[in-house]
Amino acid sequence: MPNYVEFNKISKGFPGVQALDDVSFRVQGGRICALMGENGAGKSTMLKILSGDYQADEGTIIIDGMPASYHSPHGALKASISVIYQERQLVPGLSVMENIFIEDLPKKGIRIDKAALRKMTQHILDEFELDVNPSEPVGRLSVAHQQMIEIMKAYRRDSEIIAFDEPTAPLSESEINTLFKVIRRLKEAGKVIIYVSHRMSEIFQISDDIVVLKDGKLVCELNADETTEQELITAMVGRDIGDTYAELCRNENIGEVMLEVRNLETDDVHDINLEVRAGEIVGFAGLIGAGRTELARAIFAADPISSGEIFLNGQKVNFKSPKDAIAAGMALCPEDRKEQGLVLDRTINNNITSAVLEKVKTGLFLDKKKERKLSHAAVEKYSIKTPSIEKKVVELSGGNQQKVILGRWTSEAMVTKVLILDEPTKGIDVGAKAEIYQAICDFAKAGLAVIFISSELTEVINLADRIIVMAQGRITGSLSRQEATEEKVLKLAMHH
Amino acid sequence: MENSSKEKKVHGTQSLGSYILNHKVTLLIVVTIVVIVFFRLMNPNYLGWQNVLILLTITSFVGLLGLGVGLLLISGQIDLSTGAIAVMAAVLVAMLISSGIPWPIAALITILFGAAAGGITAILVNGLGMMSFIATIGMMSVWGGLALVLTRGNPVTINNPGFWAIADIRFFQSIPLLFIIMLFFVALYGFILSQTRFGRSVYIVGGNPTAARLAGINPKKIQSILFINSGAISAFCGVLFASNFRRGDPVAITLGMDAVTAAVLGGISFSGGAGGTGGFLVGLLLLNFFNNGLMMIGIGPYWQTIARGAILIAALMLDFFRERQRAKALRAGAAEIAAAKSQ
Repeated sequence: MPNYVEFNKISKGFPGVQALDDVSFRVQGGRICALMGENGAGKSTMLKILSGDYQADEGTIIIDGMPASYHSPHGALKASISVIYQERQLVPGLSVMENIFIEDLPKKGIRIDKAALRKMTQHILDEFELDVNPSEPVGRLSVAHQQMIEIMKAYRRDSEIIAFDEPTAPLSESEINTLFKVIRRLKEAGKVIIYVSHRMSEIFQISDDIVVLKDGKLVCELNADETTEQELITAMVGRDIGDTYAELCRNENIGEVMLEVRNLETDDVHDINLEVRAGEIVGFAGLIGAGRTELARAIFAADPISSGEIFLNGQKVNFKSPKDAIAAGMALCPEDRKEQGLVLDRTINNNITSAVLEKVKTGLFLDKKKERKLSHAAVEKYSIKTPSIEKKVVELSGGNQQKVILGRWTSEAMVTKVLILDEPTKGIDVGAKAEIYQAICDFAKAGLAVIFISSELTEVINLADRIIVMAQGRITGSLSRQEATEEKVLKLAMHH
Repeated sequence: MENSSKEKKVHGTQSLGSYILNHKVTLLIVVTIVVIVFFRLMNPNYLGWQNVLILLTITSFVGLLGLGVGLLLISGQIDLSTGAIAVMAAVLVAMLISSGIPWPIAALITILFGAAAGGITAILVNGLGMMSFIATIGMMSVWGGLALVLTRGNPVTINNPGFWAIADIRFFQSIPLLFIIMLFFVALYGFILSQTRFGRSVYIVGGNPTAARLAGINPKKIQSILFINSGAISAFCGVLFASNFRRGDPVAITLGMDAVTAAVLGGISFSGGAGGTGGFLVGLLLLNFFNNGLMMIGIGPYWQTIARGAILIAALMLDFFRERQRAKALRAGAAEIAAAKSQ
């Protein structure tokens, strides 16, 4: 059993950038080490070197005094190292038990020993307090349950060194608690645990040590008990960003009702009644799967509505597709910007104008000059960091990608009146988050009705003028910013 | 011309391999020239006007079909039935003319048939949600079979000098009007792709249909239009084919497969969202100069069939490698790298 893992002077370069530069730190067995840093700090690269996906240019990983000598993910597994990535690597058509034991299914002769497999799987499921049938195909499970299965896959290998890359992103509160119980048990068993997350509160809840990276360099090693959140943020950002929310320049003038939803019913949400005023930011809080995304998609006509009415600016509307909704002044920044928001392989320019092609044409043809003008304006307005608007979106950081989508919906060619932002700060670093918060306040100032969906409670409570809480497809409460506290919102979110 | 492959990339290893993949069109032009020089050395008649006439005529047919498929590939779909629609159209136009209908009207009816055939595919794919790969294999069989049924397997001869004349017009002895028509369509489609809203939508739909829909573009509509277009241009190709051979021959030909090969060889990706008509034209010329060269140095037709398959597989491999490299760049956390770079 290893007592520690040491990263010794690790460097890794990619063309044009030094992702890791002479980074050394040690993770002790029986302690949980959080790896922190903004996007681009080098956390993922470090995990990929640990997992054998990448080879370090210089430096070694030392396990218990011995330099590790593996050069592939397979070799890392053999060295008892498991890295659990955000991207799930499950086979949707195979059952839960087959997925968990995919690398070495128990055999009886040449046949798979299903009875033994089921027993072993049930044992793990019990440990994780997860109530699913071992024979259920994984593809039919919720995203959260799939994530738990992915974690179990690594767990049952009984690796000595386990790294988690944002494991809680799709999980609800209770699942997170179960996961933490499991992680603590691993810790007590003396395993080496590395934990990467963007969620501050989690870090302080679970970790013992904190290693902060910035721009590929080690900034500092902290003891979690002796560090405040503000100190950690300062270390990550490299400067004191102060109280982000207090510095925001907010909108004071809330106008008439812009969006009204009455008795809306879909397959996923029920009995929805709400109003959003011009210049108002309405936050939507709730647990994963509470129906917030589904509600946004229904309002935007991306999913069908069974019954109910939607009024825009007092006029009843009946959108048949997102196209109609856009034409009427609705805009949606979807939850998953890479899968649903952007065409990664196209340029910034193409992505910004994709919703307004009708407006940038003269006669039959696209007016490329006008297109470029719109894109340049967006790049300038949101200070998107790029050398050119002809750069492919895939080459941008998460924060800049999100700004491209904001640029699309707020260009002067749009008539946006209602802006729906679904998890706009997900996976974005602290500095870019602050910029996006200010952008949201600016939308409100410009008279837009803003719907702001976020799973980060602090964010919703501090940014929104009013917070609507959802649970199980229904609205369970509405709070003003003054009355909202994390406790109150959570209570409503867990309302049954 | 949209040519994303020419953009310099900041990520990925700058090896010789990636250089070649990023400069695919240049590479194709070089290969084409090598192929031409090689076959010219092997057989002096290769570039004689008689052979060039035959070569450019076949190229025109493959090119017209390839444009239909190519646009669909960019939008993320495929049409394998173009060759069969062309055969059916050749038979149909021959039968209509034989029954006394003036040839321009017969041609128009045939093109409308092609559009309708594309419409059926569109319903199968976008209405019923079938995979276009499977649906168009089915339609290929249906139209090829129907042509055989209608003619009982015998060619329908056309006795109409006015209709023959279309394919007989040529410039400088060896450049047929057909080739000019094909070039016209390459230019037209190239223009549509790069300069119009519709063209841009084709790329966006092919690149990410979900994002396209949420940006107010209707992927099904775009793809349906392209299926109808593919059917219509295939039928148009069939009409020209009938004019050239002065008959409607129901025996299936391999033009449909060549069309797909030309498109993929020319850099139109199988996974959608990338490629353009410039690359397509080079791929088309390379393929046809090569196929014709094999014939001119006396390689038998059976071996030529094998060579056809080999080229298709080679083209797909090239496409596959480029895609894999792109996926690698994505996985390598290109975003992370860019972020670190800009800070």
